[in-house]
Amino acid sequence: MITVDFTVNGERVKLDVSESARLVDLLRETLGLTGTKEGCAVGECGACTVIVNGKAVCSCITLAAGLNGANVITIEGVSKNGELDDIQQAILDHHALQCGFCTPGIVMSAKALLDANPNPTTEEIQQAIAGNLCRCTGYQQVIDAIADAAERRAVQE
Amino acid sequence: MHQLQYACPTTLNECLLLMKEAGAEAMPYAGGTDVMIHLRERASCVQNIRLLVDLAKLEPLHGIRLENGMIHLGAMTTHAEAAASVLLHEHAPFLAAAAATVGSQQIRNTGTIGGNVCNGSPAADTASPLTALYAEAVVASASGTRNVPVPKLYGRNGVELAPGELVTEFVFPSFAGWKTSFIKLGRRKALAISRMNVAAALELQDDGTISSARIAPGCVFRSPDRVHEAEELLIGKAPSRALFAEAGQLSSEEMIRRTGVRWSTAYKQPVLEALVERALLQAAGLPLEE
Repeated sequence: MITVDFTVNGERVKLDVSESARLVDLLRETLGLTGTKEGCAVGECGACTVIVNGKAVCSCITLAAGLNGANVITIEGVSKNGELDDIQQAILDHHALQCGFCTPGIVMSAKALLDANPNPTTEEIQQAIAGNLCRCTGYQQVIDAIADAAERRAVQE
Repeated sequence: MHQLQYACPTTLNECLLLMKEAGAEAMPYAGGTDVMIHLRERASCVQNIRLLVDLAKLEPLHGIRLENGMIHLGAMTTHAEAAASVLLHEHAPFLAAAAATVGSQQIRNTGTIGGNVCNGSPAADTASPLTALYAEAVVASASGTRNVPVPKLYGRNGVELAPGELVTEFVFPSFAGWKTSFIKLGRRKALAISRMNVAAALELQDDGTISSARIAPGCVFRSPDRVHEAEELLIGKAPSRALFAEAGQLSSEEMIRRTGVRWSTAYKQPVLEALVERALLQAAGLPLEE
């Protein structure tokens, strides 16, 4: 076992993990943060996307042991005081989900995009979610929702 | 599998000593986008691994810098960093373009150029421009360093480094002023592994004729390589569709000479010809369609 000391959704976490443990298991099994979903387990579907140090990554292929000092944000860290974040609200408003399994990952990819690039082009939105597979909706509503979320954020500023 | 140990050395010396000690039982860990999958699947390539050596904290393996006309690209540079690098856009734009086509945003944020090459797949997207740039890999071990041209890293089973060896950076001359292109053919637009790719670079003289050319197709030969005959054909001539079509033909003839006629040749031959032609047209700034 190895001790890792890092931050999850603003809270400091220090715990022992197995040397080969994956971040997705640490989040779901140890910390009970089951909003992060595991789909393909090989980094292709994006359902397990979380933000590590400002960048969207697949938690199924992220080594927990390497996270010392890292800042991790999961879907549980997106809403504030029980209020949905602009991205989450826009996804609801645009009917950009059906079964919802891919949605946490899509929200995290969208958040990483908008935090770094508040005014993305449609192509940049498409690029940002190209690694998030959705088998229900098609992607148009998702793209519309993210573009709308960017506008809502801009209005608030 | 053995009980796995994890180490995160903070200096290159410490890292190389750890790797020397563990020998073939050590696995360098860069972005993890391949290693994590191998570990979970208990793949044969990690069966005897007992030590993961995390390279994240090794300063000399990070960053891209220009020094005396040479670009030094740290092996831990992620695809996202390479794709966004102002330095690469000026000195090796087709390498930035190739990095931008790898995987998804999540994979590009994590996966590294060093890992892309050292994983040893002939479909590695960044290996083609690195080959066209005649990049050398700096291979370090506890007993010193050696410089190896990227194509020479490859043996019969992909990249073959000795136990204890680590690629720390890639070094190549600035291609500022060259016209470069990277074209990738995947089964779909996003997240696709190359079926074939071509990296091309042209240096034009003031009179518009080609003074130097590089053509490096990926997934075509056993390991990444340039097509010298096709390159030589272009020297001293003005860019044209007919000339580039001929370079495409020479490339596919070279493929057949080296790998023989296979079941896939009927597909690969015309496709490679078209890709080489298009890559050269794109590099020269000529329209892709007639």
